[in-house]
Amino acid sequence: MAVDPDDTGQLVRGAAGGDEVAWRGLVDRFSGLVWAVARAHRLGNADAADVYQTTWLRLAEHIRRIDHPDRVGAWLATAARRECLQSLRSTGRVLPTDDMDRLDRTPLTGNPTEETVLAAEQEREDADRAALVWQALDRLSARCRELLRLLMASPPPSYAEVAAGLELPVGSIGPTRARCLQRLREEVGGITGGASSSN
Amino acid sequence: MRDPDDELEAELRQLAANREPVPAQLHQAAVDAFSWRDIDAEIAELVYDSLLDADAASLVRGPADQRMVSFAVGGMTIDLEVTSTGPGRTVMGQIVPPQPATVEIRHPQDTVTVEADDLGRFRSGPLPPGPASLRLRPPPGEAGPAIITDWVAL
Repeated sequence: MAVDPDDTGQLVRGAAGGDEVAWRGLVDRFSGLVWAVARAHRLGNADAADVYQTTWLRLAEHIRRIDHPDRVGAWLATAARRECLQSLRSTGRVLPTDDMDRLDRTPLTGNPTEETVLAAEQEREDADRAALVWQALDRLSARCRELLRLLMASPPPSYAEVAAGLELPVGSIGPTRARCLQRLREEVGGITGGASSSN
Repeated sequence: MRDPDDELEAELRQLAANREPVPAQLHQAAVDAFSWRDIDAEIAELVYDSLLDADAASLVRGPADQRMVSFAVGGMTIDLEVTSTGPGRTVMGQIVPPQPATVEIRHPQDTVTVEADDLGRFRSGPLPPGPASLRLRPPPGEAGPAIITDWVAL
């Protein structure tokens, strides 16, 4: 029986029966969601990796006992959230950092020639916009940052999955999303128009 | 015309995919997680983790930086005391009711085997931090299913 990669329940039942292809299908579908939950909680790289890996190991162990196979995304998001809280409370580890951000903020060095500038102008504009948006995200409230970071998962998560990953009521996701996207627009706009605050 | 909120969300999704993609080796680790299943074993579920379940007052830690974790299945409990020793972790365990067992401490890189004594006590050497699960086997000559614990990040 061929497993439909879009049918989550079927993937879970296939994996429960030992089908590795079905398991791979689940990983492909929900890898981004589990990672986004860890990222939304601002864990450092090592802790985010532990959360991600522990969550998948736990699903593999429980795969035959999932009550609602079609809702396995919410199961994963809940498990990952729990791991994040555990990680944030543990000591003897590096505190949550924005190390990813720092790695990405490559300083501009040297004086490129005019040609290079012209050729790269569009690329630079795109990169500038990306950097602006990324930094604007950082200045949002924790609630908005977490919600948007989870919504940013690829492929797009359902509201039920987002709600599970942040322990929020499903009904609050839509309105909060609209409000947070608006805040983000204002932040990005404010920087574009106003004086730059570089630090 | 597309909804502007959907457009911005799509832009953010692209941004996250460019800047914080799932590392390839982690994706592979998730695929490999499937091979750790043990379909004949009983699962001892995580029932207590001091990091999550202790009230705020007791989160003030002693100098030893200890974490208590408990798993349960049927009438059996497995209690762990996890101690951070520099970058590593040490586990001291107690099986209740007390009984001897062979204890495999499984983590993605390796499996370490220790023996629980007649009083159900066991202890690991230094372990790397990260996901781990225990697999308990009855001592040689005794029948019974293996028991595996939920995975926890040590």
